[in-house]
Amino acid sequence: MFDAAMAVVKPEMKSYIWLQTVDGSIQQVEEEVAMFCPMICQEVLQTGLGSSKTYAISLPQRVNPAMLGLILDYCRFHQVPGHSNKERKTFDEKFIRMDTKKLCELTSAADSLQLKPLVDLTSRALARIIEGKTPEEIRETFHLPDDLTEDLCQEEKLEPLRNITDDPRIRLLNRLYARKRKELKERKKLKDVEVEEEPKDERSVEDLLSFINGADGDIKGTRANKNKKKNRRRKDHAKDISSENTNENDKELNPLPSAYHDVNFDNALEASASKHSRTQNLPAINFSPKFEFIDGDVDDDLDPAMKEELDREVEDFARRLNSDWPERMQILSLGQDRRLVPISMNSNGSTHLYTGFDQR
Amino acid sequence: MNFFPDEVIEHIFDYVTSQRDRNDLSLVCKNWHRLERCSRKSLFIGNCYSISPERVIERFPELKSLTLKGKPHFADFNLVPHGWGGFVSPWIEAMVKSRVDLEELRLKRMVVTDKSLELLSRSFMNFKSLVLVSCEGFTTDGLAAIAANCRFLKELDLQENEVDDHRGQWLSCFPDCCTSLVSLNFACLKGQINLGALERLVARSPNLKSLRLNHTVPLNALQRILRRAPQIVDLGIGSFIPDPNSNVFIKLMNTIIECKSITSLSGFFEVTPRCLPAIYPVCMNLTAMNLSYAAGIQSRELIKLICRCGKLQRLWIMDCIGDFGLHVVASTCKDLQELRVFPSVRVGRNDPAGVTEKGLVAISMGCPKLHSLLYFCQQMTNAALITVAKNCPNFIRFRLCILDPTKPDPDTVQPLDEGFGAIVQSCKQLRRLSLSGQLTDQVFLYIGVYAEQLEMLSIAFAGESDKAMLYVLNGCKKLRKLEIRDSPFGDSALLMDVGKYETMRSLWMSSCDVTIGACKALAKKMPGLNVEIFNGNEKVDRDVDDGQKVEKTYLYRTLVGRRKDAPEHVWTL
Repeated sequence: MFDAAMAVVKPEMKSYIWLQTVDGSIQQVEEEVAMFCPMICQEVLQTGLGSSKTYAISLPQRVNPAMLGLILDYCRFHQVPGHSNKERKTFDEKFIRMDTKKLCELTSAADSLQLKPLVDLTSRALARIIEGKTPEEIRETFHLPDDLTEDLCQEEKLEPLRNITDDPRIRLLNRLYARKRKELKERKKLKDVEVEEEPKDERSVEDLLSFINGADGDIKGTRANKNKKKNRRRKDHAKDISSENTNENDKELNPLPSAYHDVNFDNALEASASKHSRTQNLPAINFSPKFEFIDGDVDDDLDPAMKEELDREVEDFARRLNSDWPERMQILSLGQDRRLVPISMNSNGSTHLYTGFDQR
Repeated sequence: MNFFPDEVIEHIFDYVTSQRDRNDLSLVCKNWHRLERCSRKSLFIGNCYSISPERVIERFPELKSLTLKGKPHFADFNLVPHGWGGFVSPWIEAMVKSRVDLEELRLKRMVVTDKSLELLSRSFMNFKSLVLVSCEGFTTDGLAAIAANCRFLKELDLQENEVDDHRGQWLSCFPDCCTSLVSLNFACLKGQINLGALERLVARSPNLKSLRLNHTVPLNALQRILRRAPQIVDLGIGSFIPDPNSNVFIKLMNTIIECKSITSLSGFFEVTPRCLPAIYPVCMNLTAMNLSYAAGIQSRELIKLICRCGKLQRLWIMDCIGDFGLHVVASTCKDLQELRVFPSVRVGRNDPAGVTEKGLVAISMGCPKLHSLLYFCQQMTNAALITVAKNCPNFIRFRLCILDPTKPDPDTVQPLDEGFGAIVQSCKQLRRLSLSGQLTDQVFLYIGVYAEQLEMLSIAFAGESDKAMLYVLNGCKKLRKLEIRDSPFGDSALLMDVGKYETMRSLWMSSCDVTIGACKALAKKMPGLNVEIFNGNEKVDRDVDDGQKVEKTYLYRTLVGRRKDAPEHVWTL
């Protein structure tokens, strides 16, 4: 009806719609071509804009001049009623031959203009690009962040150590881990404000998918394998602690302070070694805990070299966890104060406190 | 891609339909994981004990279509003890409880009860598709519930199930308002069928495309059915024996001439060969033919039939076709993609004694598009396998079953290592391989080196030492399922690469050299695996010495640990 009226009133005159892209450029488009976009059609009908350069329709930000050009080419072809299905299909196939980045931009622009046929076309093309690729390849193709596995790995590293013998060093490490986990959580919240999934769910993502249908490629298989190895080491650690308890029971008849020292240091050393091997993921490290344990068992006195090595590893841990020395000393001091140990010492500087602990 | 709104990304995901690709999508990044989780509607779970139903539902709340597998593959050969497991009930109950809007359920090698089918039929308002393959435990009463209660049923597909047939009346339970059927397959049912109910059901199902009848449906009923449903594409014929006193043959012939749509043919459980010309008119259009149950069709009639099927892409036959028949297939069926040749019972002494390497070589020369093969044969040679590998490098599935499983190359009296070596070297996309014949460790070295895409491997009576298994475990990075029977692989092989099993779905070893002690060590070392041992249906003595050989062991990875439904004669270490 509207068209008929137009034809009657101005038979030779063509109607145009004025469109403005986000960069400010304005262009004139044949009305029937522009109106093929639901968003533009809506805007014209509702606001009356588009009738002149002064009252151009402002297009969404995702539509830049290049994308608009492509979209109008698509509309020009498809709004003409006479084409056969085969011709339309041929046009579409040629139309979507472009690089992935451009295809993404086109999809985004078409979506903002609510041009569903084109969104369908480009979405299908993007789906075909995705098919057959590994997650790594998909990330690379679409420049997506690898934020799924990173957090998973960090979460696993910060599992609290079991502190059966109430070793202050282990308690210290657990506190550092707890703080680190808290930091990670807050960082996660900042990063994904709208998305909040519990760490528990996160941790099971890979396991779940891996176990449901099995690894497809080397990389994925390796990752799943790697995760499982970590779990296994943790269980080995628990088992070793259990053995140590047995050992401790055997020593009940000989409650010497040196024995207690041995147990504590062996435990901490084992924890260090276990953590170290977990971090480096070296098969050889598997033997380290037991070896050290046996060695420690043989010695009656605390070996200065061992103690030095132990301190170095603990220090390495603290450094790895972005915790500096004074902070750790502070925590240690706090722990020290809580223990009512019958050792004569003056309440002077932290250095002295550390020395006192060392002597014990 | 980061600037996409979520609905666009989900829209793109909708076009990604393969399970494997969907799994990959969800591992890309956190946002994709979230979107994939909420938009995933179809799920495949290769082992029903690898994860709990509750966890699956929590992870994929929009689930609509579920495919589940239960028992190990060797259940098909009666090597899995009765009552082993694979029950579908916990899954259906969990989905009912969580109000999953289930529409499709496909089960394979699972135990299904009438109670489960009843619950299924009453609980999911939009349920439309049930596929049961190699399942057991249910009767036609369960089918009656499905028929009566699923108002939108489109597909009821029963294949190779063990069904107790109480009454033939289950077809009558389809309500008169049921007009939605697209696919109906009850070929595996043994009992009588209410023919009147069947004919009425077909008559009021205008969308019916696939119909596979069981052996009790006679020729005259078939003729009446086809007259009412000429639109059928996939037809499974029950009985093909005419009543001697009727003119049904002429009627059938005239009716079949009008069936222009049939492209798939199967069944023929009972055949009078002289009636086969009645179906000649549809042969020209056939792309799939399954005559693996047509024991009554002998070699000559079979060849006459195949001569007319120039467009076949899938062919399942019995080995009574002989090598000469395979030559005919090779010269006729240029588009053949899948061939399965099953062993047949010797009935007529005039028929050829099965098929050999000659038939397979002919097929490989005539059918260059062949990519899937299951071949039961009398013998095989290295030269033939090398030729086949050269002619058909596109094999995805290559399953060779020599009826004497330790038979060497009869021409050279050598093991078949070089032949299978050629297959794995030439066929880059090989995903499934079944070995038979005399084989040494060498063939496993070839497999480990060349079969990069291999996912499933079946081994029987093969290999010489543990090294063979190690070659496979180390070399085949994508291996998911490994099945070994009657091979000399022992504790060293089992325990050498235990981390590998966590990247696989399952491992089966029976009649090998594995001990209980090794299985215990494996279970202890790998808590993410369930290690089960059993001796047929006898209870495993749990006080037995660790050095005792295990008759059967089946291990699989799992997120839920020990299963609670294992029977007493299955020992989970």
